[in-house]
Amino acid sequence: MIDWSVISDYKDLFIRGFITTLELTVVAVLVGMVIGLILGLMRLSGKKWLMLPAQVYVDLFRGTPLLLQILAIHFAVLPTLFQDVLGLDAPEAMFSSFVALSLNAGAYIAEIFRAGIQSIEKGQMEAARSLGMTYGQAMRLVILPQAFKRMLPPLGNEFIALLKDSSLVTVIAVNDITYAAFTTAKNTFERWAPYLTAAVMYLILTLILSRVVFYLERRLSTSNKKG
Amino acid sequence: MKKWTGMLFALCAIISLILSGCASKQAGTGDALKVGTDAQFPPFEKQEGDGRITGFDADLLQAIAKAGGFKADLQHTGWDPMFEGIDRGKLDAGIGGITITEERKKKYDFTEPYFEATQVILVPNSSSVKTLKELNGKKIGVQSATTGEKVVQDAFGKTYAGLKGYDDLPSAVEDLKLGRLDAVVADNAVVMEYVKKLGNSQFKIVEDPSIPKEQYGLIVKKGNKKVLDQLNAGLKKIREDGTYDKIYEKYFGKK
Repeated sequence: MIDWSVISDYKDLFIRGFITTLELTVVAVLVGMVIGLILGLMRLSGKKWLMLPAQVYVDLFRGTPLLLQILAIHFAVLPTLFQDVLGLDAPEAMFSSFVALSLNAGAYIAEIFRAGIQSIEKGQMEAARSLGMTYGQAMRLVILPQAFKRMLPPLGNEFIALLKDSSLVTVIAVNDITYAAFTTAKNTFERWAPYLTAAVMYLILTLILSRVVFYLERRLSTSNKKG
Repeated sequence: MKKWTGMLFALCAIISLILSGCASKQAGTGDALKVGTDAQFPPFEKQEGDGRITGFDADLLQAIAKAGGFKADLQHTGWDPMFEGIDRGKLDAGIGGITITEERKKKYDFTEPYFEATQVILVPNSSSVKTLKELNGKKIGVQSATTGEKVVQDAFGKTYAGLKGYDDLPSAVEDLKLGRLDAVVADNAVVMEYVKKLGNSQFKIVEDPSIPKEQYGLIVKKGNKKVLDQLNAGLKKIREDGTYDKIYEKYFGKK
């Protein structure tokens, strides 16, 4: 009943799609972590001029659909910025995807960082400061290492959500896994084989990701026992 | 107690909503034909601000229905769900610049052709491209699963890396305008509409005679002879009594 031959006809799209989805996720995770850390610290800084922009950023990117963000960034924000302001060529769809996914992930990760840092008892900071550490040192050497352990499970969730949400870039004709499945299904009228193939590819990636996060959780929790 | 009745009421409301959703999925039970389209294909079909679908195909369908003495309810489903809706019996027919191809004929029955179209290449004015072949290695935008995509696939391979399939043609034209694509391949009437709208200075249309001409038809589920005959009879009648020519002239000028 399922005609698998269509997959071999379109296998190049699936191979490219697998690589593209992987690339999108890795870049968005890394850039999103940096954005998230900065925003998270801004929100905890206690200074209004730092807290407010961070708050607005998180509200904006968490409060609007990612699909809309992708379309707006690809067709409006980046073309205006690059062509009208900088006088350059409008960047490719892949670049738009990196930007949209990273900015979006940054908002979610900022909240994870904020909650993680806030969950560490106040006494830790006070103790570190009373030992003569600066705020920065205390944050870097005492608070963040402890907070990171608590952030891992929600971060793992976010990475998996991000990997799956990256499928939305199909609308701007980026050849990810979903694009391969859609193109194959639309051209051949065969639905089962392309959708199942795409599902398996996503599962492979999400399973790898969740195993990596689980491994890190276990590695880091051993330091708890020693202490 | 009060809390329970409230919850029960809410549950009933939800269940009835779900059931009403199921009921409306069955096609062919009412008297109006359910016809799907992808209303992002001007001048053949587009959706107006108030939700109405207008365009050559919309007018043609209503004329066919009137001539045939039946009602037709045209709804925007999107391109891919239109085919799927017909497969599943949710729709009786589909209209929307659907080119009659051998591949589609395997799964659907087509009415008599009602429009002759050809694929043309839309390029920026500065481009020197004269034929499809010259686009090899370049980025070409199409609407996925249209004959525009097929023409490019036939020329450069099914999985040609420069082929960018968009869900809708306006997005592809937008990326051409922004310089992200080198060309867009699509149906002539649709491309002309864009050039008209965007002004002549930006784009030009390249016609490559090596691209075969094609015909549009309405589709029904394979074997749905009842609806097919209804549509064909109506189409024949409006061709004979001049209604077809009137609609044609309204959108494309004199033949």
